[in-house]
Amino acid sequence: MLLLKILALGPMNGFAVSQRLKQVSGDVLQVSDGSLYPALHKLEQEGWITSEWKTSEYGRRAKYYSLTRLGRRQLEKETDNWGRLSSAISRVIKLKEA
Amino acid sequence: MRSEHWLFTIPLRLRSLFRRAQVDQELDDELRDHLERKTEEYASQGMTQEQAHRRARLDLGGIEQTKEKCRDARKVNWIEDLIQDLRYGLRMLRKSPGFAAASIFTLALGIGANTAIFSVLDAAILKPLPVNDPDSLLIVEWINPEFPAGVGNINGDFHRISAGRFQGSSISANLYRKLAQEQTVFKALVGIADPNSVAIVVDGQPAEQVSLQYTSGNFFQGLSVLPVVGRPFLAEEDRVGQEPVLIVSHRFWTERLGRDQNLLNHKVRINDVPAEIVGVTPPGFFGLRAGQWSDVYAPLAMRVAFSPTTGDKVARGEDDWDWWVRQVGRLKPGISKADATADIAGRFRAVAAQNLNVDASKVPELITLPGRRGFDSLNPSDASALWILTLLVGVLLLIVCANVANLLLARSVARQRESAVRLALGASRGRLFRQHLVESGLLGFLGGAAGLALGYALAQSVHLMFESGRDASSMFDLRLDTRVLGFTASLSILTSVLFGSVPALQAASAELNDALKSQARSVMGRRLRLPALLVSAQIALCLTALVAAGLLGRSLKNLKWTDIGFDRENLAYVSVNPGQAGYPTERLRSYVDRVCDEIARLPGVLRVSTVGHRPMSSGGQLSRVSIPGRSLRIEKGVVAPEQAATVNWVGEGFFETLSIPLLAGRTVDRRDVRADGEAVVVDERFAKHFFPNENPLGRHFGFNPNDNARYEIVGVVQDSHYNSLRDEQAAAVYEPFSPDPRKAIHFVIRASVDSQTLEGAVRKVIASVDPAVPLTEFHTQNELIDRLLRTERLLAVMSGAFGLVALTLAAVGIGGVLAYAVARRTNEIGIRMALGAGTGDVVRMVLRDSVSMTVLGILVGLPGAYAIAKVLKATLFHLQALDPRTAFLSFFALIVVAILAAWLPAQRAVRIDPMVALRYE
Repeated sequence: MLLLKILALGPMNGFAVSQRLKQVSGDVLQVSDGSLYPALHKLEQEGWITSEWKTSEYGRRAKYYSLTRLGRRQLEKETDNWGRLSSAISRVIKLKEA
Repeated sequence: MRSEHWLFTIPLRLRSLFRRAQVDQELDDELRDHLERKTEEYASQGMTQEQAHRRARLDLGGIEQTKEKCRDARKVNWIEDLIQDLRYGLRMLRKSPGFAAASIFTLALGIGANTAIFSVLDAAILKPLPVNDPDSLLIVEWINPEFPAGVGNINGDFHRISAGRFQGSSISANLYRKLAQEQTVFKALVGIADPNSVAIVVDGQPAEQVSLQYTSGNFFQGLSVLPVVGRPFLAEEDRVGQEPVLIVSHRFWTERLGRDQNLLNHKVRINDVPAEIVGVTPPGFFGLRAGQWSDVYAPLAMRVAFSPTTGDKVARGEDDWDWWVRQVGRLKPGISKADATADIAGRFRAVAAQNLNVDASKVPELITLPGRRGFDSLNPSDASALWILTLLVGVLLLIVCANVANLLLARSVARQRESAVRLALGASRGRLFRQHLVESGLLGFLGGAAGLALGYALAQSVHLMFESGRDASSMFDLRLDTRVLGFTASLSILTSVLFGSVPALQAASAELNDALKSQARSVMGRRLRLPALLVSAQIALCLTALVAAGLLGRSLKNLKWTDIGFDRENLAYVSVNPGQAGYPTERLRSYVDRVCDEIARLPGVLRVSTVGHRPMSSGGQLSRVSIPGRSLRIEKGVVAPEQAATVNWVGEGFFETLSIPLLAGRTVDRRDVRADGEAVVVDERFAKHFFPNENPLGRHFGFNPNDNARYEIVGVVQDSHYNSLRDEQAAAVYEPFSPDPRKAIHFVIRASVDSQTLEGAVRKVIASVDPAVPLTEFHTQNELIDRLLRTERLLAVMSGAFGLVALTLAAVGIGGVLAYAVARRTNEIGIRMALGAGTGDVVRMVLRDSVSMTVLGILVGLPGAYAIAKVLKATLFHLQALDPRTAFLSFFALIVVAILAAWLPAQRAVRIDPMVALRYE
């Protein structure tokens, strides 16, 4: 879900995704490089993201991932689920102790 | 939603599948790009290029592992896994062609043998008739407490099923037609008679014998077997006096008529009666009995036209006392079998009572049997032979599986390092197991494909042996149809799983540490126990095969060389049927005399005579003997052997030609044929059985209780076998030859030239005396005996072949395991030799392993061998099931093979140089 959200912000390559995630979450959420790429490939296999080889400013070739329409829908669904889950957890945690 | 999903992903999946190299390259580029960027970042944080690079790599983990994980992530489809496994498997097989060839060959042998036997089994016993909806067919027969009242003759089957109940297959043509006319429960009721042999002349060519079956007018329509050329019979054509019409088989049309579409162009004569061909059956249609191919069909009423003239005024075959037509009905949809049976039984009772002029309670009761497979095709002894072969061939397949499993095991041990590395690279054990299983599957598939081809060829030769003499009228429809293909496919899969699962398990459970270290020094312990056990299992199965082969072989030998009472060498029979060619009774004798004279004049011919039924050919005539003054309990239609005798007519000089000694009195000749009775010769058995303790010469007897003094005994000859090599012979009566155009005539010739020369010369003689009379058969006495023995021969040859193959496989198995053991124990052997062990000791060591495996196998195999001996007991001749000679020979053969198989590995063991061995790791 997190990867999908990052990519919702705009197309980027794998390295950028992990950097962004680290940055935004304040170093709390980090994904190991070794699991990042398999995860990205899996997402692509499901059809939620798509990839494209682009040549960047410096003449460097890199693979850029972007969210698909299907992916956007999946993201919405997962965000909703997460919302429900987290509010449920909050309700439990906020219970006044006797 | 789902379809969109697929739309997005399909191009991707296809790409992974078909553009692997490119996809792989991209993956590589992607990860490399990531590393560069990571390195840059670390470098920008202050590390040196080198440190940054190392750090980046560590972060990523193993590149190859990550790549593998990515590849795995892409794979949602097990098909991709399978394809990868297949490619890998193929590659591995290509790398070890010797192993691949050996396993595929052995598999082909095992699967091929099974396919062959199955296709014969299927064609003979299992397959339904090649007609539409065979399950709706019902065979109609009848049961009765005795021979039916008012009936004189029954063709087809008539036998006792229990005390006081007989079952018969046929009714009269008249009764059939009445039944078939009004049908409420059957869509159609068709009639068919058993095949007849007739002489056919096509377009003036020399006459030949064909098999002809009379059928009802609605036969082809009723079975929905519509002719591919021409038309089926019309109902009107099944009437006495109509122009004879014929329908021929597709095979006959192809071979004799050159596939000519203009059927009416051809002039055909059946038994010298002109007829027209109006239709051709579809290819593959052979009639209603598997194994019985008829080439010509004619309407029932034509029996009158085609039968040789006997002077009878009565229209032959159209009376109600002649029961010769079998019936098969096709059920109307929605009608149950029970209802149909009740309906037709009731109808028959009414019609038969009326026509036969008997009380309805005396009429046989109709019953129905499933008609899916048509009429029974194999007699019980042939059927059981086939089942025995199926068993043996199954045993062979198990041996093959054990063999291939061993080969795979040996190989998987060698590939342990590879397995270990793959496990280290991240493969799951399950994946490894699957992959090995796929490899086995590949072997199974290749072996199965080769086996299919081999099996087809084998089936043709089994078939040839089965129906001995390549008689065109008795063949099974052996084709590689979907049933056989399906069988072979399932067998391949089964065997792959059988021999592949254990080696796959072993491969998947490879211990990393053990394998990656240098060669462990274990002796023939855990690692080799499994292969050794498999070899012992092979030997156990091999024992079963050898015992079967031994028993069947000896039984055959006993049968074949049993004393049949006359000299069987250099004896040949020539068969003709002048009656079919139109000869009336008066001209027969002169024809026969002329032919005899001409044959006697041929060079090399020592003696000629004639006979009605060739000794040691199947069939013949058994008749009840009536003796004046003695009462006999008669059961109509059934002849008890002790009350009967076989009857044969013989020409002058018969006994001399066969070298059957005359024991008393004289032989008979044409002067002994009198209108009111005949002089006959009997054999010793007859004399002792019917006239014990008295002189049989001059005594009278008959075959009909009303005429029981017709025959006078004038001579007694020595016993000889009539139509079987086995012991139970009935007494024999020899009548003098009296011409009968309904019967074939066989000339028996004792010659000093070889049979081929003789046959050529005799053919010329027959053709020169009268070209219109066909020479129907030429066989030597030994050929006839072989024909009688065809089932036994088939069994002996096949089981012998299987035994030999099993032995070879066992030898290879032993050799393989021993060779491998020696290789693994090189260290140990080297030490022993260095410590003073001599060549003899080393050889003994190897031999001990070999013999112990074999002995274990023999012990384990004893129950199986015993079981198969019991199964075979019924077919053995003059041989007990637990025949000690066969048992010992089998043990002996296995031990010898064990020793021989150990020779090569022993040699290798002996040549081990202790110095090299000690350094070898």
